[in-house]
Amino acid sequence: MEADEKIEKISSQTLISNSPSKRIRIRPLTKASLVLRGTLVVLVLLTAYTFYTIDVKDVNFVQGMIGTAKNVKVMFLEPHLSHFSFSHALYQVMITLGLAFLTTVFGAIIAVFLSLFAAQNLSSKRVSVVIKGFAAFIRAVPTVLWVLIFAVAAGLGSVAAVIGMTFHSISYLIKAYSESFEELDKGVIEALQASGASWWQIVFQAVIPSSISYMISWTFMRFEINFAVAVAMGAAAGAGGIGFDMFMASSFYYDIREIGAVTYFILVIAILLEVLATQIKKRLKVNI
Amino acid sequence: MTALLEVAHVSKKFGNDTKALSDVNFSVREGEFVSIIGPSGAGKSTLLRCINRMIDASSGEINFDNVNILSLNKRELKKTRTKIGMIFQHYNLVNRLTVIENTLHGRLGFKTTFAGMLGIYTEEEKQQAIKILNVLGLNEQIFKRSDQLSGGQKQRVGIARALIQNPRMLLCDEPIASLDPSSSKVIMDHLKNISVKMGITVLVNLHQVDVALKYSDTIIGINGGQVVYNGSPKNITPDDIHRIYGSEAGKLIFDMGEIHAG
Repeated sequence: MEADEKIEKISSQTLISNSPSKRIRIRPLTKASLVLRGTLVVLVLLTAYTFYTIDVKDVNFVQGMIGTAKNVKVMFLEPHLSHFSFSHALYQVMITLGLAFLTTVFGAIIAVFLSLFAAQNLSSKRVSVVIKGFAAFIRAVPTVLWVLIFAVAAGLGSVAAVIGMTFHSISYLIKAYSESFEELDKGVIEALQASGASWWQIVFQAVIPSSISYMISWTFMRFEINFAVAVAMGAAAGAGGIGFDMFMASSFYYDIREIGAVTYFILVIAILLEVLATQIKKRLKVNI
Repeated sequence: MTALLEVAHVSKKFGNDTKALSDVNFSVREGEFVSIIGPSGAGKSTLLRCINRMIDASSGEINFDNVNILSLNKRELKKTRTKIGMIFQHYNLVNRLTVIENTLHGRLGFKTTFAGMLGIYTEEEKQQAIKILNVLGLNEQIFKRSDQLSGGQKQRVGIARALIQNPRMLLCDEPIASLDPSSSKVIMDHLKNISVKMGITVLVNLHQVDVALKYSDTIIGINGGQVVYNGSPKNITPDDIHRIYGSEAGKLIFDMGEIHAG
């Protein structure tokens, strides 16, 4: 009897001591969640402080918004070409496309060979780490900066743009290619090795045929990126093409209607490239 | 008949203390059909790969066709590898290429690097490939992509790729482990044919004891990296099976074997 009472006492005590004082936490407060909350609070405070201290001079916020909207309306609803003709614009777009194409092709050819040595299943670990490290470093610096760096030697213009863009394309494609090479089943390489095939034969007979569709879709992806970069290069590095005309229209003539027209040109090309890319990928999936 | 392959005192260590093989000795005659059986991790695959030096043995001697394989340099090794075909559990074909292209890969070791890279084969090689594929019953699949084939068909392409090397010996690493019983039978019948009619030595790693007993001239049982049985399948006793698989499961293996065979 006594023992029973004791048990009852203990259990009721624990119940009481548990229930009112502490609420049950579903999500435990770990170090990671504390850091996350701290970061969010700091960001909110910084944003509030910025808005409070921002120097807007005499610009009325509402008027500013309305003015911008008007500009956008003029730019995109009333586009026209005043300083150059339609055929000139088309020609310049072709130059920009040419720049993108050239740098992608150069980049792809060089990257194929380097990525063979960067893929861990085809090369030694040391060589792979060195090449991948270099590629990561090159990728970390934006393309525009590379172009400006090469402009020191080649002068501002198309040569610097081609070298700089190729440089960045190589490192981008090395990563893409080598990763698709690494996905190849180890056994396939082993099978060909066991039959006495050499390294180059294995690469061209097994590795590249297996990853060709990945390679083509990555290359096309880079071509699209390079087209966008080539537009910017026209303005930033004087590489010519539609980007330079856009730069002149915006900062020299201040003709926002012409900016709108050029933007439409670039948009159409970008859409065409996208459609082409989807078509190619579709074919690849069926045939290869 | 003379011994085509002689394995003497072969050991293989991975790292410092993991011993995959220790003091393995056996010899194989020309045209013999040998099955290597043993539990998973016993060293069957390691042993097979030591023979064509996909893995380098730590010590010992492997004589194939009167050449010590362990002493070969890179170029001589490639030449010797062309005389040894290899077949794998997962077929290891290039999925995106056609059956005949995969078959012709067996000829790469005979070609110059450049011709091999570009996949330039002579008409005779192509005819031989078609002939071999016909023998293996793949005449309708010749121009199909190999990822459209069934497992049994893929393995037959694997055999074709090995046969076009005109090998003296075939190494088969669990060729039927991923196949259903009827495809397994087709593959094993082909392998047996190859050894009997073409006089090619066949070394097979197997998990199916009943299959090994049915097809082989010789059984080599391996456990813990050591050869614990080497002899004819007729003389093998349940005791031997116990020693190979290191368990009391001998009875079970025999029973399961009968069920599988049926």
